[in-house]
Amino acid sequence: MRFEGETSSPEVQDTPAEVDAAFRTLRRIAVTYFIVFLLVLAAFPVLTMALDWWTEARVIRNLSPAFLTAGVGLYAVFAVIGIAAATLSSSVEARMLGQQQNLGQQPDAEQT
Amino acid sequence: MTTTAIVTLAAVLVIVLGVSLITRPRHSSTVDFYLAGQRVGVVTNSWAICGDYLSAASFLGVAAAVYVSGLDGAWYAVGFAAGFVPVLLLVAAPLRRFGEFSLADFLARRLNSDTVRISSVAVVQLVILCYLVPQSVGGGITWELLVGHGIGGLSAYSTGVLLSTAVIAVVVAFGGMRGTTWNQAVQFLLLFLALVWLAVVVTSDGFRYGEAVEALSSQPLANPELVDEDAGQWALSQETNYIQPDQPAVFGEAGTRYGHLGQVALVVTLAMGTAGLPHVMNRYFTSPTGRAARTTTVWVLVLIGVFYALAVMLGTAAREVIPRAQQDHPWLAEYTVDGVLRIPEHALPVLGRIYGDEAGLGLVTAAALIAAMSTVAGLLLASAATWGHDVYERHINPRATQRQAVWAGRLTTLIAAGTAAGLAIALRPDAFTPAMPSLVATMVTWAFAVAGSALTPVVVLAIWWRRTTAAGAVAGMLTGGVLAVAMFLTASFLQPSALRELLAAPTLVVAPAAVLITVLVSLRTRAPADADTSWVIMHGTAADRHTERLAALTVEERRRRRAR
Repeated sequence: MRFEGETSSPEVQDTPAEVDAAFRTLRRIAVTYFIVFLLVLAAFPVLTMALDWWTEARVIRNLSPAFLTAGVGLYAVFAVIGIAAATLSSSVEARMLGQQQNLGQQPDAEQT
Repeated sequence: MTTTAIVTLAAVLVIVLGVSLITRPRHSSTVDFYLAGQRVGVVTNSWAICGDYLSAASFLGVAAAVYVSGLDGAWYAVGFAAGFVPVLLLVAAPLRRFGEFSLADFLARRLNSDTVRISSVAVVQLVILCYLVPQSVGGGITWELLVGHGIGGLSAYSTGVLLSTAVIAVVVAFGGMRGTTWNQAVQFLLLFLALVWLAVVVTSDGFRYGEAVEALSSQPLANPELVDEDAGQWALSQETNYIQPDQPAVFGEAGTRYGHLGQVALVVTLAMGTAGLPHVMNRYFTSPTGRAARTTTVWVLVLIGVFYALAVMLGTAAREVIPRAQQDHPWLAEYTVDGVLRIPEHALPVLGRIYGDEAGLGLVTAAALIAAMSTVAGLLLASAATWGHDVYERHINPRATQRQAVWAGRLTTLIAAGTAAGLAIALRPDAFTPAMPSLVATMVTWAFAVAGSALTPVVVLAIWWRRTTAAGAVAGMLTGGVLAVAMFLTASFLQPSALRELLAAPTLVVAPAAVLITVLVSLRTRAPADADTSWVIMHGTAADRHTERLAALTVEERRRRRAR
């Protein structure tokens, strides 16, 4: 659903070429972070199989690295991935889209 | 009924009905009824999404799964929390920018096809039903524990199922998305408060996380099993270690419930399912802009991360505290076998009663009821949007007035609620406990499996691959839906093995198959003509900037008026 008139106003239009360039950059960001996310998920069973230290050592508050990761660490990693990806995507959109609008608004800004 | 039970139930009713009354829809329009006028702010929406998402499966089920399986129970929490990463990376902002009322509506408009609409309505309804039933089960379990007896000749469990579902059905039918949003936001805060209170009292009583895991891991993990059904006789039975079969299964190490493949399959199924959950995704359409939808998801990731970390800790605490509390709390004998709870979903309410007596039990059971009710609210609203908007308005009566469309939504809300309550009564949770770590969490896994296998691949491709066609999407949805259901049903007939684990959480296999089929069929059919227009709407930010500028102008105008 679109708001009435939201695309009819010439100063807020994005051109298909601008959108396509931004889309390609956003897709690269999304895929990169998604691969990082999958690697984090896959790391747990791999570490359980490969490293005895992972389940036997005691690190913070006497918890093993494996329990600490499943109980606390993974949620923190998800939040960090989310914050980093959202910040980067929003900044890419701000830089690559709406530049014509900003240019169009500059004279107004100077007049005021 | 005890005074605590009466006070708890009255408090839940006052909160739910009070919030609904204050925030009732101002206009009888479908945008207001289904989308709360598309003006829900970032903080409110993140609380509401958490209230919507953190269901009985999260509140009762995650702690229960950790209680009964130790580290392997935490995979539920990890999978549920991980789900919002794909949502943020791949879905939230473009989905909101494209707009529409529901996932089915989004797919139909993006691919310009009524066949896609009908197919996605069928898949969405299957997901909603799989998700609704365990929430009603959660309501029944909570009533059973809080009140202990039924009304009008019904059992306590059936009474709980019927009452919790009926109250929320009426609230949703008349409050619409606006009332539901505020209800879910307030309900999340109460739920979170209950969990934080439990964590504080447990820790102040001397619970030490690491020491508790160490102590619980020093002996083999054993859980109650019904050994003689006729005599109702229970005994503790040692769990098998699925990673090292020659070693005993212990609380603090993986292998009590799943092998390596099972762990990954479960987490992937839960993580990919979230992006296809209609009640959660529909909430994104209420955001004012795509950027707001993305920021909302960041808030959700942080909030649910804290929530699940606490739930895992409390599942551990329950396992350690309950056996040693038996001497001071003789009432525990009714619920336990040698100090271990027969129904693991009782872990948090029992912990609440140990530390807060009747008032503590009241607070935790109120939170559990609220968790079930807020998710039921979201599911019923998603069901109403699908039937009322996608079927009634688009197919049965395209000339329907706004009033008629809203009433169609209200009516379908009541029908969906009745169906879910009926199915929940037919299923008794304690009968399934030996086969499933937590019935509530397991049933929710089915909903995630269908959503992640049938809807998520198609939604992601529709957003990121221009060449996706209607035929490809229908083929992908059918492949994903049919394979997922066939696989988890087959799993229930198999003995524990790696194959069974993979079939029980099938998205790891089925989602790639659905992607492959969608791509192959799309490449063999004609490319959609208006994909470029969709691209500018989904991946451009013109509408976002327009809305942000209007909001800034409104704020500026208000300031000027105040200055005058």
